[in-house]
Amino acid sequence: MLVNPWSLALCLLAGLSLFLLGMASKTALRVMRSWQPASDSARQIGLEAEIWLSSTLVQYGLAFQVISLFLFVLAADHFSGMLAGAMCATGSLLANDYGLPLLAVKGTGIFLYGGWIVFHQLDISSETYPLVRFKYILLLCLLPFVVADAVLLILYLTALQPDIITSCCAIIFDAAPSGTVQNLVGGRHGQGLLLLHYGWAALLFAAGLVAWRRRQAFFYLLYGVGMLLFFGLALTTLVAEISSYIYAMPFHNCPFCMLKKEYGYFGFLLYIPLFFSVFCGVMAMVVELVKSRPGLGRRVAELQRVMVAVSLGALLLYSTLSAWHYLLYLVAGGEG
Amino acid sequence: MLIELENIVKIYNQGRVNEVTALDKVEMAVEAGAMVCLKGPSGSGKSTLLAIIGCIYPPTSGRAVIAGRQLARLPDRFLTMHRRRTIGFIFQRFNILPRISVFENVVLPLLPLGMSPKERRALAEPLLERYGIAHRRNFPAGEISGGELQRVAIARALINDPPIILADEPTAHLDSRLSRDFLADMLALKEEGRTIIMASHDPLVTEAAGVDRVYGVHDGRVTKDAC
Amino acid sequence: MKKYFEKQRNLLDYALASLWRRKGKNISVFLVFSLVIFLLASFLFLSRSLQVAAQTTLRQTPEITVQRMVAGRQESMPLTYAERIRGIFGVRRVSPRVWGYHYNEVTGANITVMALAGDPELGREPLAEGAFWQQGEQGRAVIGQGVVKDLDLGGRRTFSFFRDDLTLKSFAVAGIFAPETNILTYDLVLLDIADGRDLFGLADDLATDLLVEVVNPLEIATVARKISERLPDTRVVTRPQIQGTYQAVFSWRSGVAAICLLSALSAFIILAWDKASGMSPEERREISILKILGWQTPDVLQVRFWEGFALSLLAFAAGAILAYVHVGYFQAALFRPVMMGWSVLRPGFDLVPIVQGGDLLLIFCLSVLPYLAATVVPAWRCAAVATDAAMGG
Ligand SMILES: Nc1ncnc2c1ncn2[C@@H]1O[C@H](COP(=O)(O)OP(=O)(O)OP(=O)(O)O)[C@@H](O)[C@H]1O
Ligand SMILES: [Mg+2]
Repeated sequence: MLVNPWSLALCLLAGLSLFLLGMASKTALRVMRSWQPASDSARQIGLEAEIWLSSTLVQYGLAFQVISLFLFVLAADHFSGMLAGAMCATGSLLANDYGLPLLAVKGTGIFLYGGWIVFHQLDISSETYPLVRFKYILLLCLLPFVVADAVLLILYLTALQPDIITSCCAIIFDAAPSGTVQNLVGGRHGQGLLLLHYGWAALLFAAGLVAWRRRQAFFYLLYGVGMLLFFGLALTTLVAEISSYIYAMPFHNCPFCMLKKEYGYFGFLLYIPLFFSVFCGVMAMVVELVKSRPGLGRRVAELQRVMVAVSLGALLLYSTLSAWHYLLYLVAGGEG
Repeated sequence: MLIELENIVKIYNQGRVNEVTALDKVEMAVEAGAMVCLKGPSGSGKSTLLAIIGCIYPPTSGRAVIAGRQLARLPDRFLTMHRRRTIGFIFQRFNILPRISVFENVVLPLLPLGMSPKERRALAEPLLERYGIAHRRNFPAGEISGGELQRVAIARALINDPPIILADEPTAHLDSRLSRDFLADMLALKEEGRTIIMASHDPLVTEAAGVDRVYGVHDGRVTKDAC
Repeated sequence: MKKYFEKQRNLLDYALASLWRRKGKNISVFLVFSLVIFLLASFLFLSRSLQVAAQTTLRQTPEITVQRMVAGRQESMPLTYAERIRGIFGVRRVSPRVWGYHYNEVTGANITVMALAGDPELGREPLAEGAFWQQGEQGRAVIGQGVVKDLDLGGRRTFSFFRDDLTLKSFAVAGIFAPETNILTYDLVLLDIADGRDLFGLADDLATDLLVEVVNPLEIATVARKISERLPDTRVVTRPQIQGTYQAVFSWRSGVAAICLLSALSAFIILAWDKASGMSPEERREISILKILGWQTPDVLQVRFWEGFALSLLAFAAGAILAYVHVGYFQAALFRPVMMGWSVLRPGFDLVPIVQGGDLLLIFCLSVLPYLAATVVPAWRCAAVATDAAMGG
């Protein structure tokens, strides 16, 4: 289903991202080959100027990635109207084997772009640009991701076939396995999952506070890893449990419908804090890698504290907001 | 010493066919509050020397310490940050943008610092008053006279309240009366405690009142002349 | 943080002033860009309103329609089939329907005649005047606005149609559908099923097709399958299928249109790239002055970004508003022939442009983002000019 404005826009965005990152990679290669911080040669001056080109390109890349993730979810919702049996974005994503991997790649892409920008900011905060090589190696690692994104997108879209009624055929079926509710994570898990989710969040919060106070690598590591695990847990819980409280329907478990107007765009209030919280938490751990580089020690330490603080704030926000509908349900009594 | 240059070499277009050695092993030291002249023929390297003192680009080699900061091979970004705080530059060709107003020209250096319009006005208005260009505030800078342009350039150089003022051929486009006015302004700035370095081959400048020292610049080499 | 926003505001101000100073250079980019966006937006708005119009029609389509097929052609349906369908679990109601076309030889118009049993779904549509007939009343019709015109009724409230045997059957107009429902009712004559059978000469135990309602909308597909298993000589069409087909067809069409327009867009992008790359000596000097005055390369890049963003946003707004006017006020005069030629909608309804956030985002992604991406590298070339141009003499 490539011939469709949504598909075209997605492909265009993927193409643009490739272009942006391709240009940035050219700089990366040149820097790796001939970076000589002590030299005053025209080439070195040129390379120093190219740093700004590449960082701008990656910033655009990040913005495009965020937009394209959003567009992809909208498009999936739109496609669901053309696919028999797909009732919302989940249905379209599950329509073939490429939907979910593509979504995962797009989501991860945001983290990678964001991470690169953090390293870039650290790099340019020190007069010796101590992370130049590191960040350009990282940039080259981003490239396969962007390619994978584009390839998966094409595969997904070509494999997606709308069911057109053909009048040559006398009997037409919907392809839907009717009566079943499509769900990303299978059946319901009950209160246990919710308990685990909020328990984990509370533990994480405590760990984050300790990390914030003690400022030791070990606690940042603990918090970061905890965050990564929490991300998976939170997404599962969102789909399997929290969503149905938002929709006030026991069997409506779509992670995307809540992004729509019908539900007051409530999903954004969940996903954005969650993403921020995880991103900052994980970055606080990851930047530990470069703490020992010349001139970065203090900057990294400051950054870690800020990251953990933001992460904790976002975590608190996410937990409160995600519990909101559940609490409403408990207070108002379960009429459903 | 506010400015210390040791063994400064500047080579333009290093590694290309049009390589030029503009400065060759320059030694120079200027104490705070001094007024110094660079004198030399065209193409001798005066502007280049001012650019290095002014943190516009780093020297190819040598040790340069400007207002307590060692500059050798500092990336552009940090040179710029240092320049914002310490240097006021009055350029050979004024470098005023002709199509925007006098006021906008004066506050140009403040825009990327994140200053609000109110803060900008508070800094610029006294300078416009002081240099008698307040009534030209909203004129496009391309439509005012040469003497006024020069004063706009001074006002702009002072907007960051820098300790060091650099002036490149400041009187090249002025008649002798305006030149004298300019030198009087510079003297007043010196008396405020600022350090002033002027490059010129105009005797009016090199022999002006208040000039502490004159350096001769010839083919990229600097010699200490008598006054 | 406050400093950061203040800085962005300053740079934005500077960018806007600089755009304005270079009106001459920017106006051509703006005009061409607006035109491209206008075409793109017109197409998307038009196809969206057609789609929504189609959906309104489909709202009235029954959940399941069952037709009898004989030798690949549709035949009348014996009412005994209805009984067999009623026996299927999950079916709420089965109602027979009689429908056909009445050709008006004077005006050459085709009028749709539809006759329903009991309380018709269409009975919920608002009327401009009159009321629906009561259950069991005969010889009364509710007609659409187009029919009033076509039969040239004027103030008369009766009309007659020829039966197939050329005898006349006359009707009293019980009511006239409101103009808002034109898309559904423009050329419609709605009758009681007995009148329909009388007009078309159909036996009392026959109907044109059967409409099936189900208890749970999620089970449409299951029920449809059961029906076609039980009655192998029927064609079963479900509402989701029709909706899906409509949507796929519409979005395929607008996709084809979008591809055509994308080539216009790429031509524009080349223009934009070219414009952004060419730097006049004056501009070069301006940038080196800014940099010598303490602006960083990213600051200059930021100004360039704001310039491009403001320009494309303006073009976006202009193009989208013009497209709205084009579709709403001029009825998409430029594209209507093409789109309507393909469409299966009734004539004589007004296009109501429908603007959805998603469509705007789509237009944004298809126009503003490529423009921004195409201008980064030229912008950087500008921002990276050395300070030399402002130095020396
Ligand atoms: N950006 C540049 N690229 C290459 N060569 C340069 C550059 N700027 C200056 N030069 C060369 O460096 C030498 C010194 O130039 P500089 O501008 O410093 O001299 P100056 O004393 O200021 O001359 P004038 O009195 O004409 O302003 C000259 O030979 C000049 O051609
Ligand atoms: Mg000079």
